[in-house]
Amino acid sequence: MLSRVAENLYWMARYLERTEDLGRFINSATMLLLDLPLGTRFGWDILLQITGEAERFQQYYGQPTEKAIMRFLIADSRNPSSLLSCVHQARENCRTFRDLLPGEFWERINSLFLYVQDGLEKEDVAEDRRARLDFLENVIARRHALVGLLVGSMSQNPAYQFIKLGRNLERADMGSRIIDVVSAVIPPEDQGLRKTVYQSLWVGVLRAMSALEMYRQHVGVQIRSGRAVEFLLRDSKCPRSVRSCLADMELGLAYLPNAGIPAEALRRTRRRLDQLQLKELTPAVLHEYLDQVQKDLGVLHRSIENAYFRVREERDPYPHPSSQRIALQA
Amino acid sequence: MQKILYEYPEGSSYDELLTAAGRPRAVARAVLEHFERLGPEALRQRQETADTAIRAMGITFTVYSEAGNIDRSWPFDIVPRTMSAREWSHIEAGLQQRLKALNHFIDDIYNEQRVFADNVFPREILEGSRNFRAACRGVHPRFGAWANICGTDLVRDADGKMYVLEDNLRVPSGVSYMLENRAIMKRLFPEIFAMCSILPVDDYPAQLASMLGDLSPRPSDKPVIAVLTPGIYNSAYFEHSYLAQQMGAYLAEGTDFFVDSEDRVFLRTISGLLQVDVIYRRVDDDFLDPEVFREDSVIGISGLMRAWKRGTVGIANAPGTGVADDKVVYAFVPDFIRYYLKEEPILPNVPTYLCMREKDREYVLAHLDELVVKPANESGGYGMLIGPRASVEERQRFAERIREDPRNYIAQPTLALSTAPTLVGDHLEPRHLDMRPFILQAKDSYVTTGGLTRVAMNAGSLVVNSSQGGGSKDTWIVEEDD
Repeated sequence: MLSRVAENLYWMARYLERTEDLGRFINSATMLLLDLPLGTRFGWDILLQITGEAERFQQYYGQPTEKAIMRFLIADSRNPSSLLSCVHQARENCRTFRDLLPGEFWERINSLFLYVQDGLEKEDVAEDRRARLDFLENVIARRHALVGLLVGSMSQNPAYQFIKLGRNLERADMGSRIIDVVSAVIPPEDQGLRKTVYQSLWVGVLRAMSALEMYRQHVGVQIRSGRAVEFLLRDSKCPRSVRSCLADMELGLAYLPNAGIPAEALRRTRRRLDQLQLKELTPAVLHEYLDQVQKDLGVLHRSIENAYFRVREERDPYPHPSSQRIALQA
Repeated sequence: MQKILYEYPEGSSYDELLTAAGRPRAVARAVLEHFERLGPEALRQRQETADTAIRAMGITFTVYSEAGNIDRSWPFDIVPRTMSAREWSHIEAGLQQRLKALNHFIDDIYNEQRVFADNVFPREILEGSRNFRAACRGVHPRFGAWANICGTDLVRDADGKMYVLEDNLRVPSGVSYMLENRAIMKRLFPEIFAMCSILPVDDYPAQLASMLGDLSPRPSDKPVIAVLTPGIYNSAYFEHSYLAQQMGAYLAEGTDFFVDSEDRVFLRTISGLLQVDVIYRRVDDDFLDPEVFREDSVIGISGLMRAWKRGTVGIANAPGTGVADDKVVYAFVPDFIRYYLKEEPILPNVPTYLCMREKDREYVLAHLDELVVKPANESGGYGMLIGPRASVEERQRFAERIREDPRNYIAQPTLALSTAPTLVGDHLEPRHLDMRPFILQAKDSYVTTGGLTRVAMNAGSLVVNSSQGGGSKDTWIVEEDD
């Protein structure tokens, strides 16, 4: 497989994952804010922190109002992480490898893009909360259909592994950021908040990460911050946890050639996660750790990039397919 | 019976499916009678189904200027263009003969240049050629074949005779539409395919792959073949991707390649560098190798010419082939056939006036209102003057251009391009068309069965190019019972 094609597959998967994660988080935050007492610290700007785009927002908009933030995160093509940009990028990347994926994939991703483009023209999703909820739910459903198509019909070939790597790296990245930002703004259980509000905040976070039902099944109905953080970071069964993302990437790399360096980077990240003492975790230590996760994921990304996307000229060519076969026969 | 056939307008062009009396020709009888039976409503529905299928199959071409939605479906008409297998085999032989002569000419131009010495072709024409590449002098591509893939445009005049209009030797496109059009028609009208003997077209990708394989410098039964595309913004990207997929070849862009110090060409893959044997390039000479041609090219492969000249990689079409894709050179092809092959041309050229010849030029300037004037080096129907339809000012502008640069202009009589019934709403109307068969040549020679029929969708229009309101039809070569 061509390096460029592998890179496009990887980035398409990252953009699609980002699209869903963003859509989920915005919807979750919108629902959540309806429950909160006025004057709570949890404000719209948390979305800017999570996407890491607060600075860019400052550049184009002034006050972080709901409307401005929504326009920026959903419909602004100047923001490379906006939903519109992500869907557009995913579709453009997809053009270059239509032949590698099931036939319907291109049609569906194209139709997702058109849906987003038309939807943003027709509805004011920045202002109209109901339209926004509907719109984002549809985007998420369409993204699910894309994933389902791949899961249901792709072989475990290199193309699929690059999709898997991109999807999980993005998910782990977004997940660790959400945990970081949220645990900084939601105060510990015994401080100040009414229990119901506290519960609904964590329900919102788990729902944003599509992990609420699994949390209830694996951990329990009562949601406490320590348990939720542990679940989102280290649960080995829920596909949304950082640990599961790492495990899935490890499986993906096992199918690929030249996986030595990225696999090592992956193992390092996983070891650090395993060694983390969650019991006596202070907010400061958690933050420090999550910072490290972000760095580790960055290293992992670069090692994948170097191993597969930036093939250097000095590396030995691999044998011609027919000479390889002759060698095998001999 | 509901009438869907048009009244045949008197004294107009030759119609491919109907006789002058308005009766179906023998090869078209089955399909036209079937269409009559189906009636207007059913036809309209099938046209809709076809349009939907085209969108769903993603059969598109790209429109340059439109940002955002860059894919456009190409209009497809469900009424096929028919031709008898007997007539076709005559054309097929003519096309093979023509490409053989053209390849002799290109090989001669870049090597001995006998054609000048023997006064068959004037040296000044070559000197005025924009597409002659000095860098290709002395190269001997395998089998002496420079143009491995040729798309030749054929038209039928009012006299019913087929003429060669031009030979596209650089990076001719359209073959994927030919293949997809047939796929759609088989889905839409399986019953007609069962009723008459329509020759299949779908062996083209296999023939192309095997021809490209023959160009491989490394003996092997599994050569590494790459289709070099300029990328997703090229109008023919769909075709590049389609052909690569059908051939099991890599679809690669310039940056995917790397030429090492031993002049070997590699692809960058996830397993490392992979040596390439044959490149089917869909990039023009100008942009092929920034070391030799345009330095600012970002879609080419640096060092490719070194590799090709050293013989480590085969390239189709060979660099420099475009020298014969010139409407002035075109005028000499019948002479080339006589000179190189010692044969009489099977297919006639359209009579052509070369403005570089004083007598021709005077005639052209005096008869601009009757002639079609074309620049020698343009494709896609750009920069043409259709005399009878042009305004006085346009004709004056062209007269100036011809006087300034006579080498670059040719003129031909305005042909009454043949027509075929085309579905307009719920009935059929005549629309003008041409035909582009594709010819392959390396070790062997091959011609597609029929080709791509392009049709001017606007009433009376003679311009069939996709970029200018053209559409396409399926082309049926039909075997008749004797």
